Amino acid sequence: MNVAIAALAVVSMLCPLDVVVAQESDASNAIAIVVHKSTEVDNLSLHELRNIFLANQQFWPDRTRIILLVRAPKSEERDFVLNTIYQMDEAQFRQYWIAKMFRAEVPRGPKIVFSTDMMLDLVVAIPGSISFINANEMTDDVKVVRVDGKLPTDEGYPLK
Amino acid sequence: MGFGDISWLSRDATDPGGFAIGQAVAHLTASLDDSLRVFGEFSVTARDNEYKGAIERLIVRYDFSDTFKLSGGRYHSPIGYWNSAFHHGAWLQTTVSRPEMAKFGSKIMPIHFVGVLLEGSIPKNKLGLSYMAGFGNGRHENIVQGGDAGDINGDNAWMLQLNASPSRFFGLKTGIGYYSDKVTPSDRPEINEQTFSAYVAWEKENPEFIAEYLHSKHENVTDSSVSGNVDAWYVQFAYRLAAQKRQWKPYVRYELNDVDDTNPLLGDQGLNYEAAILGVRWDFSDYAALKGEYRNEEFDNGGREDNFRLQVSFVLTKL
Repeated sequence: MNVAIAALAVVSMLCPLDVVVAQESDASNAIAIVVHKSTEVDNLSLHELRNIFLANQQFWPDRTRIILLVRAPKSEERDFVLNTIYQMDEAQFRQYWIAKMFRAEVPRGPKIVFSTDMMLDLVVAIPGSISFINANEMTDDVKVVRVDGKLPTDEGYPLK
Repeated sequence: MGFGDISWLSRDATDPGGFAIGQAVAHLTASLDDSLRVFGEFSVTARDNEYKGAIERLIVRYDFSDTFKLSGGRYHSPIGYWNSAFHHGAWLQTTVSRPEMAKFGSKIMPIHFVGVLLEGSIPKNKLGLSYMAGFGNGRHENIVQGGDAGDINGDNAWMLQLNASPSRFFGLKTGIGYYSDKVTPSDRPEINEQTFSAYVAWEKENPEFIAEYLHSKHENVTDSSVSGNVDAWYVQFAYRLAAQKRQWKPYVRYELNDVDDTNPLLGDQGLNYEAAILGVRWDFSDYAALKGEYRNEEFDNGGREDNFRLQVSFVLTKL
């Protein structure tokens, strides 16, 4: 019994319970990638995700056109995505899409949404849509895509 | 959406310089369904005593997938980088003007092309490979124009360009291309034209880097001993300043066009050119920029000139 208690104490010292819980479930700093529920994609590499957000990939594997929804300026989610995925500031992001449209590479720029609720409503309503959301605000109405095989609650999730 | 620019030019040579309205450019896009769309680009350009309207690009495109996109219409030829990256949008490009080899009205590069184009990206590859393959009308008998009303000699032009944007070096784009045509100028015998092109571009702004090279060979169709080459290239470097000075973007460019005297198509056209350009771009608005350029240029070995250009360019859109 004493050995068991001692072993538990050692384990808890090496790997405190609150830290373990935090690593498995803390999604407060994570951005989740969400798609319409009919989208037949469960996992994207960060490279593939970047290609989709840059509109270099415009179709899902089933040939549904990808509809990109992006939050309006001055939201934390947008700032995060511009920094990590696009690696651009606001001005570069604007110029990128204007150039993309002017080169006739895309039919339109991303659809701009002004709130989390609006974004969720549109992802639910539009087949082929993809967007990003604070992981704490996810609902069951949309499908969460793994990024590099990880969910927002997983340790090592790349969009934290 | 549209673009426009107004320039002020000063030349120390014979041209008077002064103010110039550049081009007013409008474009439209219509998505007819998820895969089919129409794109048009129309320009109005100020001439000496008139304004000239033109259909710059008119493209009908069907996207089968990311790998196969088939279109037909009038394009900017997919040769090298600049010609299909910035089109008529002066605001999009860092500098006041295009490189001399790719300027509108260039005799060195066939700027426009009418025909069909198959393009797409190769899926699931970290090199970000993509291709463009075109087939259509070659140059008009006035060689600065494309064959808008048909190929004048029945020998169509074709082109192939391969591009790579490796994911490991996000921002890097590079490519090689080949263009072939038989040219029938109004004032000389038929000439075979072959053009190889290559480019490297770092598409970020800290820094921005573009280098492009073009090599053309022109050969008399009936006498292959009459031939000559063109070598044209430029290197451009720019850097967007940081923090509160990020509206400012200084840049430099060096360019050189070297045409053999023996070239049967271009050798007597006075196209040799060398320039060193130093400028700065000031983005005083999200949708407008003021650019100032000092240009030390030499046209056709005629001695160096010190020229200046100022330009206000803007884009008419909101994003």
